[in-house]
Amino acid sequence: MRVTIPRLRALIPVAAVIIVLAVLPVVGAPPAWLLYLFLFFIYLAMANMWNLLCGYSGLISLCQPAFLGLAAYTLVLLSWIGVPLYQGIIAGAIVAAAFAMLISIPVFRLRGIYFAIGTLVVPEALKFVFLLWRPVGGPIVGGGAGYVLKGAAGFSTTEVYWLALAIGIASIFLMRLILRSKLGLGLAAIRDNDGTAASSGVDVFKLKLYSFVIGAVVTGIAGTAFYISQEYIEPISAFNIRWTMTLILATVIGGIRTEEGPILGTAIVVFLHFLLARYAGISLIIQGIILVGIMLLAPQGIIGSIRKTRTYRSLLRLATGQ
Amino acid sequence: MAKHSQEMPQETLLKVSTIDVFHGSFQALWDVSLAVKPGEIVALIGANASGKSTLLDTISGLMHPSKGSIEFEGKNITTLDPFQIVALGISQVPEGRRIFPDLTVLDNLIIGSYNRKARSKREQNLERVYEHFPILKERKNQLAKTLSGGEQQMLAIGRGLMSDPKLMLLDEMSLGLAPIVLNELYKALREIRERGITILFVEQNVRRSLGEADRAYIMEAGRVVLSGDVADLREEEEVKKAYFGV
Amino acid sequence: MTGLADLSTPLMMGILLGGLYTLIALGLSLVFGVMKLINVAHGDLVILASYFGYTALTVLGIDPVLSLVVGIPLLFVIGLGIQRFLLNRAFRISMEAPLIIAFGISLIIQNFAQIVWTPMSRGLTTSYALESFRVGALHVPLVYLLDFIAALVVMLFLREFLRRTYLGKAINAASQDERAAKLMGINTTRVYMFTFAIAMAFAAIAGVFLGLTFPFVPTSGVSFLIIAFGVVILGGLGSIVGTFVGGMVFGLAQTFGGYFFGVTAQLLVAYVMVLVILGIRPQGIFGR
Repeated sequence: MRVTIPRLRALIPVAAVIIVLAVLPVVGAPPAWLLYLFLFFIYLAMANMWNLLCGYSGLISLCQPAFLGLAAYTLVLLSWIGVPLYQGIIAGAIVAAAFAMLISIPVFRLRGIYFAIGTLVVPEALKFVFLLWRPVGGPIVGGGAGYVLKGAAGFSTTEVYWLALAIGIASIFLMRLILRSKLGLGLAAIRDNDGTAASSGVDVFKLKLYSFVIGAVVTGIAGTAFYISQEYIEPISAFNIRWTMTLILATVIGGIRTEEGPILGTAIVVFLHFLLARYAGISLIIQGIILVGIMLLAPQGIIGSIRKTRTYRSLLRLATGQ
Repeated sequence: MAKHSQEMPQETLLKVSTIDVFHGSFQALWDVSLAVKPGEIVALIGANASGKSTLLDTISGLMHPSKGSIEFEGKNITTLDPFQIVALGISQVPEGRRIFPDLTVLDNLIIGSYNRKARSKREQNLERVYEHFPILKERKNQLAKTLSGGEQQMLAIGRGLMSDPKLMLLDEMSLGLAPIVLNELYKALREIRERGITILFVEQNVRRSLGEADRAYIMEAGRVVLSGDVADLREEEEVKKAYFGV
Repeated sequence: MTGLADLSTPLMMGILLGGLYTLIALGLSLVFGVMKLINVAHGDLVILASYFGYTALTVLGIDPVLSLVVGIPLLFVIGLGIQRFLLNRAFRISMEAPLIIAFGISLIIQNFAQIVWTPMSRGLTTSYALESFRVGALHVPLVYLLDFIAALVVMLFLREFLRRTYLGKAINAASQDERAAKLMGINTTRVYMFTFAIAMAFAAIAGVFLGLTFPFVPTSGVSFLIIAFGVVILGGLGSIVGTFVGGMVFGLAQTFGGYFFGVTAQLLVAYVMVLVILGIRPQGIFGR
């Protein structure tokens, strides 16, 4: 892939921000901040991937929970047979990728809405699989199908935080890389018109598969980070549709098909989660109303709407010296 | 070939004034004007992608012009929805027939009389359609997709008649049909005109259309390049040279 | 011959249960066939109707089937509203917009149900809900038979409606060729509104019968959406008979799945079937 390498100077402020974020836990920032940032980076990675899939590749994937759940389960189950956590994370990523390739066989024959529902089935089915299947550790006494993460003590809060930070920042760079590469161009062509793209020599299936697998891997790693911090996993949480709601909301609020959109959107959504923590009962109603409202009133999201305003356009012209 | 013997009233039935129409960011029609008087048969001629179908679709309300206006019987119909335009008395027989394949012939015709005004005259119009096209009566309980190309075109025209129109638009009626079938269709069109319905039809074949129409408009790349009485047009060098034999 | 007799119970029950799944899938099939829209919230709307039936029964003491006299118009009007104000606009926004909006509606309904009726499992336990009747050596729950009969009635109604009324023919026409339908003077916006509303009316009926047949929780909607989708795809777009056959297949899959793999695996069997069907034949058996 041909890639434009940003000038070194432009990287300095970015590096500074990353360093500041990284040292926060070490210098004793308030735990609430750390929790916010932790969740922010995990959701950000997932939201960026959803933007890649739905916004840029035309794949309305409702099966992201499948990848994060599978990766996390891999991590946890391997921990029971003594596999160290870092290797578990890698294994989880590999499992997520393999699973993505596997289910791409049935679901990629589908378009649009068929695809969406097909992907909806996957996490639901996995939920049942893990409710029934106890590969290690013997039957549970007293109900529940969850597993404790073994060896979690070896992973400090700071390390988990750094893991989340790493995957979140990586997802931003990854998006930038992809969108400016041949993959990105191909995806843009596909999104506009499958048929035309195919007849111009674009291998539609392969590009979509790349997006799908990349999306699965990054989402999977984010999932492992989350469940390392939880130290316990069970199927109803791991494969829950609430994950999908959060991702969609974050991407849509921020602005689908924009690079900055998921960043802004995730920041807002995590903040929203904190606000609604006291009202957990109506959290989904509020999120649902916001989602429907934004789709009807401002479907391009915040970033998209800003870009359309005249102020932005004039500023842009000034900046580019027209 | 006698055109028509009755007195032609002077008011225009349909007046299209300097419209621009866009498909997304692509401009399909440039400054197009057209007029049709009651009782006429007018031909709209041009090659592929000359904008003829777009013009018909715009008159029918499937598209709207970004500039200019369309008037029907003095009423401004530029921004109306397709179903409202049908109710006012303009009916389109679309390109490719587009009959409803899984409905019977009879149901296709009945659907044609969907708008309220046409419903009360349904049986009457149905009889008329059967007079024009007896084969439709024979096949009335067959599924439309089992009809031959020519029969499907008759069904499409019959369906168009069921809405009790004052003006009928026909888009490329002759596509894929044998000359024998075409003769029948054009004969039916003349009968329809005798009943008082005005006709605007779109064609690629210059010779045939000039033979059937009173007046014609010739379009190229989204503009009207020539128009006038058929007799005059036949003399035009352009018409003879560029389109003869197409 | 105990082996055979054992199998005949799940066989009979599967076929009758197919009636329930047909009922649930009909609304989805109608909307999908006419408007090419998969209403992701369909399952949740069905469950919402189950909850309305539950309230009618436990709070007002009215038989849930009778309560449909109010339930059907109620959901009909809700359907008009959803289509007119939400989905109608969504189509013009983007390809993913109707799906995302329906998704939002789905979760709103789930959360709403959780608040009003708690996550506890509920059922419509009327006096006849627990009765069974005998067919030879088999005992079959009465409600399964009622499900089947209800499905036949609704299917018959739909068929006649589509065949005989102007609106029905218009719906049929619009599903075959939207553009041509517009040129016939059909106000497609209104047609879609009524299509969706009719689908909601069917969902109301399906919800009540579902509640009589199975216990349900606020999140049950997703499961039934997936099964209904499987039924629709299997039976083929726009075919009433196809939906019925699809319903039978899924009913049988459920009863035999439960017979061979246990109760918890029932839904999993159905889900795997949906994925297999999607993979092999997205256009269904009877599809156009």
